[in-house]
Amino acid sequence: MQPLPPRWLDKLATRICAPHLREELLGDLHERYALRHRRTGARKANFFFLREVAALVRPSIMKRKPSPYGSPSAFSRDMLRNYFKIGSRVLLKNSSYSLIHLTGLSIGLWACMMVATVVIDSLSYDRQWSRKDDIYRIVSVNKMGGDLVERHTSSPANLAPELQKIYAEVESWSSVDSYDIHFKIRPEDADGIETSMLTVDTMANKVLGIKLLAGSLERTTQSRWSLLVTRSYAAKIFPGQDPVGKIIHDIPTFSSKPTPYEITGLIEDLPYNSHLRADVIRLKRTEVGPLVSNGMIFFGRNYLLLKSGTDVAAFTRKVNAWYARFMKNDKNQFEFQPLKDIYLHSDFAEGQSVRASIRTIYTFAGVALLLLFIACVNFVNLSTAKAFARVKEAGVRKVLSGSRTQLVMQLLTETLLLFSISVGIAVFVYFFTLQPVENFLGHRLVLTFTSNTMMAGAALLMFFLTALLTGLYPAWVISGFKPADTLRGIFTASLGQTGLRKTLVVAQFSISIIVLLATIVVWQQFDLMKNKKLGYDKNNLIGIEQIAWNGKGGAFKNELQRIPGVVRSSLSTWMPGESAGYMQREVDDPAHAGRRLRVWYVAGDVDLPAILRLKLVKGRSFSDRFADALNSDSLQNESFEKLEKAQMNQNSLMTASAAKMLRIKQLDVQTKNAHSVPVGIVGDFHNESLYEPLKPTFILAQKAPEYASMLIRIQPGTEMQVGTGVRKLWKQFFPEKLLRIHNIEEKLNKQYEAESKLHQLFLFFSGLTMFLSALGIFGLVVQAAEQRAKEVGIRKVLGASVAGIVGLISKDFVKLVMVAIVIASPLAWYALQKWLESYPYRTTIHWWVFVVTGVAALAVTVGTVSFQAIRAATADPVRSLRNE
Amino acid sequence: MRRSDLGEFEEIVLLAVAALAPAAYSVSIAEELENETGQPVSTGAVHAALQRLEQKGYLSSYLGEATQERGGRRKRLFTVTAYGGKILHEARTVRNSLWNRITPAELSKMGLDFSNS
Repeated sequence: MQPLPPRWLDKLATRICAPHLREELLGDLHERYALRHRRTGARKANFFFLREVAALVRPSIMKRKPSPYGSPSAFSRDMLRNYFKIGSRVLLKNSSYSLIHLTGLSIGLWACMMVATVVIDSLSYDRQWSRKDDIYRIVSVNKMGGDLVERHTSSPANLAPELQKIYAEVESWSSVDSYDIHFKIRPEDADGIETSMLTVDTMANKVLGIKLLAGSLERTTQSRWSLLVTRSYAAKIFPGQDPVGKIIHDIPTFSSKPTPYEITGLIEDLPYNSHLRADVIRLKRTEVGPLVSNGMIFFGRNYLLLKSGTDVAAFTRKVNAWYARFMKNDKNQFEFQPLKDIYLHSDFAEGQSVRASIRTIYTFAGVALLLLFIACVNFVNLSTAKAFARVKEAGVRKVLSGSRTQLVMQLLTETLLLFSISVGIAVFVYFFTLQPVENFLGHRLVLTFTSNTMMAGAALLMFFLTALLTGLYPAWVISGFKPADTLRGIFTASLGQTGLRKTLVVAQFSISIIVLLATIVVWQQFDLMKNKKLGYDKNNLIGIEQIAWNGKGGAFKNELQRIPGVVRSSLSTWMPGESAGYMQREVDDPAHAGRRLRVWYVAGDVDLPAILRLKLVKGRSFSDRFADALNSDSLQNESFEKLEKAQMNQNSLMTASAAKMLRIKQLDVQTKNAHSVPVGIVGDFHNESLYEPLKPTFILAQKAPEYASMLIRIQPGTEMQVGTGVRKLWKQFFPEKLLRIHNIEEKLNKQYEAESKLHQLFLFFSGLTMFLSALGIFGLVVQAAEQRAKEVGIRKVLGASVAGIVGLISKDFVKLVMVAIVIASPLAWYALQKWLESYPYRTTIHWWVFVVTGVAALAVTVGTVSFQAIRAATADPVRSLRNE
Repeated sequence: MRRSDLGEFEEIVLLAVAALAPAAYSVSIAEELENETGQPVSTGAVHAALQRLEQKGYLSSYLGEATQERGGRRKRLFTVTAYGGKILHEARTVRNSLWNRITPAELSKMGLDFSNS
């Protein structure tokens, strides 16, 4: 018998070898195989044959001879023009499909662009400074016992110069403070121009690399503040004039007279996308004192400029080891936060107004990517479903000698056309929605796709790649059928590929359901924080922000009483939501020896507890009848020790939790732990936002404190009236000073802006994802109804009811959504539980949330599906059956 | 002279065609070369060399008869053209003249003393 080589190798050889060489070459291979087989046996012959096949891989053997009857290249100019012509005709002919595609894709692309803008913008913060890689903010880390640490952006004022003295790595340092100030340029600006100001010492120039345009970067006057103004701010306050040398005044809050500022320099605008965003820079003298380990330590925000290439981790260890030796304990440590991390990684930095949370950015990006995914899934799903109609066309094209490449190109062109129209729409909408999005975010976006050509180019490239990836799969499927089968109407199982389509639909709906669940839970959490009882009455309360009263606080308070609508008012050093108290103390924990507890102190005049409507649990509240109030301002002026001593004997109120923690049973006796004489116990109240746990608090009374804010309790509905009255009174008392007046409830709600925004965002996205999913399923139902038109016709002829047919068509989709609900619910539960963990007061995720979401998803599905299903079911069966 | 046109392997294949004429085709040449050199020689390599030589005009070919071992496929038989013969001759002349110029003393140094053998 003739020995034959292994079949698969033979097949492989045939594949490799060009057709015109096959006869001679394969003949040769077989002949040699037979020779070998005879000589050395089957095994060696097989091995040799393998080598022979491998040796065939060379260009001269593999290169195919071009066919003399070839179709034009799939990439020739004529063909390219043809793709566009046919493509646009197909899109126009199936206009309803095209519309579904366009809507879905436009929304997906728009959302993606928007979010990409936000993400890129957030990542661009603080990348413009010339020494951006070498600047670090000093962060104090206080060990609170156990694993608890507290981070502050402030550090001892004299630490940075000391570090520069000791360590060669420190090139320079600067203290930088930022706050808002109101400048009065013209007499008619009543409230002045709100200006964000940096206060820096003269070293800042070295660290930040400020570009001077005119004037000087040094302090030129000793009697006044020196001010550097940015170019755009100068154009705003002195249009067309040289600002250098001019003197402007602020509207004071603490001092009694306006402070003069001399403009000494004009500088280039500071980058907007920086946490040191500012209009003007105030220069202060560089003051260096000795670093001390005990007594009064002043704190400030300090930045270090390290030499390029410094190993920061090693430097941090070195500094902390040194500081622990210096302080003789290791409770206070430092970290050096790179400048580039400050914007996104500063959740602990309470005073920093320009910051964002990396968590929000991740959520934002994640949801947008999911949205784009849903849009692309829609596209793939609809296109493969539509393949049913396209295979016949593909068959005819193939019979007329169209190559597969041409077919793929044809279908890809359609995809690209759809994508480019969608991109056009998306960019158009994007351009006009930038403004609302900026309003929503509360700050400008510096880098956008319409302003930065680099970004625009990258985006277009990304879209092109996405289009290719999404278009390739349907194109491949459609062009892969054998023309003989498709033209005869035989469809192989692969056309069904319902497996993939089903999976995609389930994924799509799972995402929609997760986003919907998140929307509900975020809203619940927001609602909980907004409406939780705080322990004091936040309604009908107006607050005037802290100023120095110049001794006229008491008189102002008396005058205020005359304004109709004012119930009562109080000078207070504490305002709801601003801080936990003006002072905190660490006291011994009576329950655990050696452990320390922290208590907070809130101070105001004797009316404070009444104004807040705190609930009295035990004892009595403050009253003018007793000597409750202490004249702390004058005592403090005398000496700090005297004040401390007086406070030990001062009457105080304490909250229930403070009484419980400190185990204070007896009132009206001096208690060492309380540092005062408690006379009453009031119900707990939340000093700060609900991000913070409840704080044990003492309330002290002071006689008309000088540095204080004012709380005014008003009658319901008289806010406007009281507001105008207060303004009028203010003009009489403090014509020079800035009045900042708030409704306390609004102010408190502003604290939860992050949750409110997150909720709005989820609400928006959940609407979109649901809409897109419904759109996708709608397309699929249309397709299914078309495909099953004949089946439906026969069923109707045989007596099926409309309801039965609607059920038949809807059943498949409802099943898919059920699966999606089952998959999505636990995932969402887990993720949301994780999210809620960071809140001390959190809502519980009730079972009904899942039921509601599930029912909503099902309702949307049934609504979309039955719309089309009823149309199919009520169609005249004669029409569908007469066809052919 | 266009000696650079003729690679070493090509020269050997060309010689083998001349030696095996008129029954020179890939299999016979590959087998012959294997016998001569002791190294395995793949059909593909020989075929590629034959193709190149034919393109250069040193060889001409025609399809021969089919055999059963070849699965009923015909073989392509090669003969050296006059031009090919000229090239071979030139190559040989160059070699011979160089060989002849090597002095016996040099040969013995290389360990190639022919006088004693």
